[in-house]
Amino acid sequence: MRILVVEDDENLNRQIKDALTEAGYAVDVAFDGEEGHFLGDTEPYDTIILDIGLPQMDGLSVLEEWRRAGKTTPVLLLTARDRWSDKVQGIDAGADDYVAKPFHMEEVLARVRALVRRAAGHASNEIVCGAVRLDARSGKVTVEGQSVKLTSHELRLLSYLMHHKGKVISRTELTEHLYDQDFDRDSNTIEVFVGRLRKKLPEDCIQTVRGLGYQILGD
Amino acid sequence: MLRRGSIAASLFWLSAGWLVLALVTTGALLTDLYSRALDSTLTETLDFHVESLAGALLEAGDPQDDGIVLADPRFERPRSGWYWIIRGEEGGLINLSTSVVGIDLPGVGAAADAMGRSTEVINDPFGTQLRMVERNVTLGGTSYRITVAGNLTEMLKLVADFRGQTFIVLGAVGVMLAVMSTIVARIALRPIARLSKAVEAVREGESAEVSGTYPTEIAPLAEEVNELLRSNVQIIERARNQVGNLAHGLKTPIAVLRNEAYARKGALADIVASETEKMSNMVSTYLERARLAARTSVVGKKADPTMIMLRLTRVMRKIHPDVTIAFQRPDASLPWFRGDEADFEEMAGNLLDNACKWSKGQVGVRLSSIRAEKGTQLLMRIDDNGPGLSVEDARKVLRRGVRLDEKTPGSGLGLDIVKELVDVYGGELELKRSQLGGLLVELRLPTARLGGLVKPPGN
Repeated sequence: MRILVVEDDENLNRQIKDALTEAGYAVDVAFDGEEGHFLGDTEPYDTIILDIGLPQMDGLSVLEEWRRAGKTTPVLLLTARDRWSDKVQGIDAGADDYVAKPFHMEEVLARVRALVRRAAGHASNEIVCGAVRLDARSGKVTVEGQSVKLTSHELRLLSYLMHHKGKVISRTELTEHLYDQDFDRDSNTIEVFVGRLRKKLPEDCIQTVRGLGYQILGD
Repeated sequence: MLRRGSIAASLFWLSAGWLVLALVTTGALLTDLYSRALDSTLTETLDFHVESLAGALLEAGDPQDDGIVLADPRFERPRSGWYWIIRGEEGGLINLSTSVVGIDLPGVGAAADAMGRSTEVINDPFGTQLRMVERNVTLGGTSYRITVAGNLTEMLKLVADFRGQTFIVLGAVGVMLAVMSTIVARIALRPIARLSKAVEAVREGESAEVSGTYPTEIAPLAEEVNELLRSNVQIIERARNQVGNLAHGLKTPIAVLRNEAYARKGALADIVASETEKMSNMVSTYLERARLAARTSVVGKKADPTMIMLRLTRVMRKIHPDVTIAFQRPDASLPWFRGDEADFEEMAGNLLDNACKWSKGQVGVRLSSIRAEKGTQLLMRIDDNGPGLSVEDARKVLRRGVRLDEKTPGSGLGLDIVKELVDVYGGELELKRSQLGGLLVELRLPTARLGGLVKPPGN
């Protein structure tokens, strides 16, 4: 899953990026409204964390621009203004959720997880595909109840495919959603990780749809 | 009725006092003028009679002739108060009117005026006041003193009658003027009553400023009140903005410090984590208190609870998509909340957000009005199918800063803010058992007056 963090405070931006990276997300960052707007407009993010008070272009204007342009990416607003009138204004501008500063990082992570899950149409943090079970909250994967050890890249790949189970996901889409913008898009790491995952999971769990991409079938 | 201490009463008593003084003086002056006019006429008449007697004396030749008479029959009636006497130079009686019976009419002792006439007022033995006029006349070398007396008591009676009628007429005029002054005072004071109503409407939240047109005397007052309200709003707006800026300025560094501390291990990280937690709570608490302090002086505001709840339920459905929120839209007669819209939104938002966080998927919201001792109140009921609270826990949670569960996200200040706002508006907050199985929160708040639109409950 790929997340964009738009926050002008460099320290806070770094902290959120570190926490998200540690939780297994690919993270891009922006430090002002214009840069944030450009990235959100051109890159396919799974969720965007957006501060309201930003230089050059405020967060609500950025959000309204995205929504006007038809972008449906879930947006989590960050702000110090925590009155309900401010929250209502943020949600009405098109935000999907709201976290007031100062926050606990776990809360931000929980909200991001929920937004990603809801955007993919899952009601619970647990996603099941046949014998494979993924707990999005803890990042644990089990096969028929037995815990499976995955590296962070393998987990990212599996998590994305399971969140979009039943859908054929192209290599390009996977690359776009699993790596941040600095990643070399031409590498064949996706194939390498799919190969590794197939060894750890039941044989026909991840299927290759020739010429189109990969697919995990539903239960 | 005129109320004691009112401008209308003061105006009435002042004008009534002045009217009584003016009318009594007018009455006295008129009576005096009338009396002087009558006395002057009587004196002229008596002088005319003196000249008539002198003519008759000349015509008769004999001063004792019985043919010397005056045409006025009152000179022939005894005790009529109308008498004449002709005396010789030495004072000897020569002739007199037939009315002079039983009295000794003396001569006039007063000095003669420039026309040779002397006058005097005396009382006859019958108690009648007489005006006497006397002249010395010389006919054929003989001098005579002709004295004519007229009934002054009759004239004084006329003056007394005139005085009585004058005071009756002036009294009636006075009453009419007093009634008129009261009516004028009431008409003149009507704009003040209108101004008072307009200010009351502002206080009741029915109007944002004093509206209407006023006479030039009180128009500046209305404008001053509006200016005061505007400046009040501006001061509060500025204070709120400053509070908001302070919030933004402080909360981001606190968030950075706290996250940094949570991400590291060690004694320093622990201390920073615990102290930033305290700082965060204090910033939130005192910022909210600053907002409350700025808010208590806000007058003339009201908010439509239905619209706010529709907005909030829409937002909550987005934030808590797993929760079904049942909000039945109340009918249009529901009174409005008397206070700031953002405050109502803050109270309802926090309560509804809490209900959504704790519920197992079901939340109900109802708005109605109830009649209470303090007048009509707005009643908001929010209930959920969550775990609910025991009586002891409900009591605890209503105390400041108490949180029963640290797992559900939030600073724990939400309910504190609600409690403070409820206190500011003189409302009531109760926690009960819901029919859904969880908690039922009942919030009572003051309503803005909407005239006859407010219906009693159950109607």
